Amino acid sequence: MEQNEINEIHRAYLRHEAKTRTFVYLSQLLLLVLFFGVWEWLARLNLINVLIFSYPSKIWALFWEKLWDGTLLPHVGMTVFETVVGFLLGTLLGTIIAIIIWWSPFLSRVLEPYLVIANSMPKVALGPLFIVGMGTGLVSIVAMACTVSVIVTTLVIYTSFKEVNENYIKVVRTFGANKQQIFRLVILPSSIPTIVSTLKVNVGLSWIGVIVGEFLVSKIGLGYLIIYGFQVFNFTLVMVALAVIAIVATLMYQAVAYLEKRLTKQFK
Amino acid sequence: MSQVPSSPAKIQLHHVTHLYVSSTNAFMAVQGIDLRVEEGEFVCLVGPSGCGKTTLLSLISGLEQPTAGKVLIDGEEVRGASRKVGYMLQQDYLFNWRTIEENIFLGLDIQGIRNRETEEYALHLLNEMELSQFRHAYPSQLSGGMRQRVALVRTLACQPEILLLDEPFSALDHQTKLKLEDLIILTLRRHKKTAVLVTHDLSEAIAMGDKVYILSRNPGRISSELEVPKTISALLPFQARNHESFSELFHKVWKEMEAAIDGTK
Repeated sequence: MEQNEINEIHRAYLRHEAKTRTFVYLSQLLLLVLFFGVWEWLARLNLINVLIFSYPSKIWALFWEKLWDGTLLPHVGMTVFETVVGFLLGTLLGTIIAIIIWWSPFLSRVLEPYLVIANSMPKVALGPLFIVGMGTGLVSIVAMACTVSVIVTTLVIYTSFKEVNENYIKVVRTFGANKQQIFRLVILPSSIPTIVSTLKVNVGLSWIGVIVGEFLVSKIGLGYLIIYGFQVFNFTLVMVALAVIAIVATLMYQAVAYLEKRLTKQFK
Repeated sequence: MSQVPSSPAKIQLHHVTHLYVSSTNAFMAVQGIDLRVEEGEFVCLVGPSGCGKTTLLSLISGLEQPTAGKVLIDGEEVRGASRKVGYMLQQDYLFNWRTIEENIFLGLDIQGIRNRETEEYALHLLNEMELSQFRHAYPSQLSGGMRQRVALVRTLACQPEILLLDEPFSALDHQTKLKLEDLIILTLRRHKKTAVLVTHDLSEAIAMGDKVYILSRNPGRISSELEVPKTISALLPFQARNHESFSELFHKVWKEMEAAIDGTK
């Protein structure tokens, strides 16, 4: 087969791929437009209760208004701050606990049933305890966000520590490595992909902790906006808060996914 | 104490027995092994899987302590991983997150002897293996044979006096394996190392070794030994395989091995 024929087949394949891609994008856009269009239309015809479901143009107007009068961004900033601190702290603490129980097999056997209980427990149920113990401020909310992710992080990372191929450990042991060197040179680097991917999961978990925490106590934050809107029966405000959460949470997840791709390139 | 021989061998195993104990059973991997390897010798241990070959290497390297008996290197009892011993595994097990250069410096890092001199020696070995241009590459960019050569450099970089080889060719294709056999023999002769090779491939053992020990299993023990004639052992493995008396020797040892295996049934 001639080279130009091969090139031609490849070009045809690329054209087909591009066409499919465009079609997917268009369909996604159409779905979005359709969703908002139908919502708006139903509201205008009074087929759905506007008081409860609001409608896109009203939500957009309120969003725009709150953005410009400066009453929205402080809420976004606080929630993002709490979420980031919560998931970083949760991942860090979970990793540290995992290291400790990896280090001492005895301790890991002792703690096993407690970890299982802690993992099965719905962590947000502990909310009132945090508020009683740590006050009605930022600390309680961050503690909640952190608690939601810490146990599952510990279990996932500890498992990945244990699943490191024995032969890599054997390689460093034949050079006379001690336990600290085994950990630093083999266990930790081979678990980095797992640790980074728990970051991705923990972003989502941390959002749960923060929003529930804000439901319970706060005076500021997107969770507070939702509860406030709910209490004064301003569901347009609730919808604005939900939309902002959807956008910011997606951006945050994408940022961590990008970080994961960069950090774990060499570990494949 | 009186068991230490007058002229210490490089490696000596003295009535070595090793048990593996788990919650379900206690399994005797090797029993009553006596083995003597002189300095500069290339010794091959051949046997079916489950005859305790890898166990013997773990005992010599000090990764495990024998349940009974003694393992001596230069007349001294082995307690824990010795710097005199280098170990090559069945696969390269290079660290994907380190460059080739950082991989071959691994042992130097662990033993705290990484300096300009030892680094240069490691790079010199890499050059001997014709892999200098891959210094800054990552393992995933190399072929299987190249990776195993890097693993050899990593082991030799710490300048061990004894090299333990645990079926280091088993994961390679045939052609690569033949080339690597020659390369390893050349390198070991040039650097005057003592070596113990474990394999289930009899022709590999005869082609590479000065001495071949046949092991039988359940529990693992030495059933026979053979000194490879100088006419064959002086050659490189590839030439040895083509030597006129090679196949005759192979068939003779093959029969002994069959008899040994039948004997355990």
